[in-house]
Amino acid sequence: MTRPRRDPTRWLVSLPPTLFLLAFFLAPALLMVLASFRHPGEFGGLAPLLVDGKPQLTLETYRFFFGDWIYAEVFLRSFIVAALTTLFCLLLAYPLALTIARSSARRRDLLVLLVILPFASNFLIRVYAWIILLGPPHLLYTTFAVIAGMVYVHLPFMILPLYTNLEKHDPTLLEAAQDLGADAWTRFWRITFPLSLPGIWAGTALVFIPVLGMFAIPELLGGTGDILIGNLIKEQFLDNRDWPLGSTLSLLLTVAVLALAGLSVWAGRARRGGI
Amino acid sequence: MKRPMPPAAAIIAVIFLAFLPSPSTAGEDDVLHLYNWNNYISPETVARFEASCDCRLKQDYYSDNEEMLAKLEAGAVGYDLLVPTGNAVESLIRLHALRPLARERLPRFANLKAEYVDTWFDPGNRYSVPYAYTVTLIGYNVEKLRERGLPTDTWALIFEPKYLEKLKGRVSVLNSARELMAAAMIYLGHSVHDTDPAKWDEAKRLILRAKPYWATFSNSTYIKDLAIGNLWVAHGYSNDMFRARADAADAGRPFHIGFTIPREGAVLALDSFVIHRAGPRPDLAHRFIDFMLAGENAADVSNLIGAGNPNAAAMPLIRPDIAADPAIFPSADEARRLQMLKDFDVHSRRLLSRIWTEIKVR
Repeated sequence: MTRPRRDPTRWLVSLPPTLFLLAFFLAPALLMVLASFRHPGEFGGLAPLLVDGKPQLTLETYRFFFGDWIYAEVFLRSFIVAALTTLFCLLLAYPLALTIARSSARRRDLLVLLVILPFASNFLIRVYAWIILLGPPHLLYTTFAVIAGMVYVHLPFMILPLYTNLEKHDPTLLEAAQDLGADAWTRFWRITFPLSLPGIWAGTALVFIPVLGMFAIPELLGGTGDILIGNLIKEQFLDNRDWPLGSTLSLLLTVAVLALAGLSVWAGRARRGGI
Repeated sequence: MKRPMPPAAAIIAVIFLAFLPSPSTAGEDDVLHLYNWNNYISPETVARFEASCDCRLKQDYYSDNEEMLAKLEAGAVGYDLLVPTGNAVESLIRLHALRPLARERLPRFANLKAEYVDTWFDPGNRYSVPYAYTVTLIGYNVEKLRERGLPTDTWALIFEPKYLEKLKGRVSVLNSARELMAAAMIYLGHSVHDTDPAKWDEAKRLILRAKPYWATFSNSTYIKDLAIGNLWVAHGYSNDMFRARADAADAGRPFHIGFTIPREGAVLALDSFVIHRAGPRPDLAHRFIDFMLAGENAADVSNLIGAGNPNAAAMPLIRPDIAADPAIFPSADEARRLQMLKDFDVHSRRLLSRIWTEIKVR
């Protein structure tokens, strides 16, 4: 076996994005970890890290978070809303992606363009349109409105990875199955669906994670009880000027998402191992 | 053959062009940067100022004090003038972010009404010149409330179930812990500055009892919802209610929007011009403030957006119907029941935020 060739151009090409991620993703993430242990500043921001050369760190913010169930409840509620949004996106996107993938090449491009078209206007403007739509039937300011808005905004992020996956399926597999006597449902369930699982996972990640952090939609469409973790985090940084609490909430959200992603990878591996 | 420009090069060229200096206009080196509330100075006023000083006024906008403070705290420089509310003025002074005013350059300062100068947030007005004020009050659909025989001048309207039963799903309150708690505290007869956890708990229970009847927490959409009839009662700012009233009238709706300061009292927000320490043009900033102190310029903010006016010289030039509106220009008696919000310390802010989260979740 030959070892992979050390190609200097590969390093050169990957250097800028690596530096970018280090500087603008990893460094801020670590700063956030530090901020969650610091004291809040009097006017917002953070209190000085060093006083008389001694670092001023505290577990107070974590104690405050875990002091009662209120914040955990907001987390739970957010995960439920995100799960429902993802489920509805999947149910709506799958048939559509399948239709697009099985259309003729020319129509396919047109249909994909139509899926992307809403991005031409800002999503806030489109959410305002929903306010007008949902007002008369008295559905505005309800959890239904929040989930409808979430599904609407995130649907393309489910359709596109699914379509990319479904389009690559080899049609001869389905023909072979048909020749062997499989009906339409069996062909879908035994061939198309298992092959599309990577697309489903990609779409799920692209929808589930952004929905968890979304604050604009619950604020504009939601009623008096529709607070999500995104709203809570935004409130800490802007209205309440409590950066340590905001950082702690962001950090715990990140940990929860990573744990969930790890769990799904582990579950996927266990299943494959079992077959 | 000439090759077409590759797309990346075209984009870079466009970005580059955007940074080239624009063609010169009059007074182009003299630019005053104002960081202002959205829709707080009319274009006509701006044009008059630019003509009078032969300079340009460039504005950036914010929609709340916290946003402005956060941006400055993060190191934004280049703004000459800000228009913060009282509590934010106090924070900026204590952060040493402001430049003391040269009073000799503000000969029209005497135009201001005595009750709006020498305030708690800036004794002696060393840093701030009051510009306009709003009151947080109750806006309502006149006809709907009359049909139901409901009062319009009390916080009970948004807190008492006996009234709310007739308004279920038609009420919005501000999505602001400070403002809503202040309304509840005033209704309970406490001071808005009180941070006693027992009194906050009482206010929380009052809010939670009323919450099932409310449609939503809203900071801006209530303007439209009142004007088209979706909402019948909204807790919000007087200048927003002014706009809702004008919008409903312009659209020829079969109802009217009214707004009244509740008899128990309300929150007053006084916005002032202040000069930022890092601003490059304090000379133009002083000229602008003095220009805005002239009665004919100061009157615009009341005539156009329905804000209250701390300028005595502006009063004769304000439309009579606005000048006579007690919700925009409260009588001396009513003015005594208005309170300005002060910033809480870190500990109280965190406690309030915890109560606020509980209010949202329950």
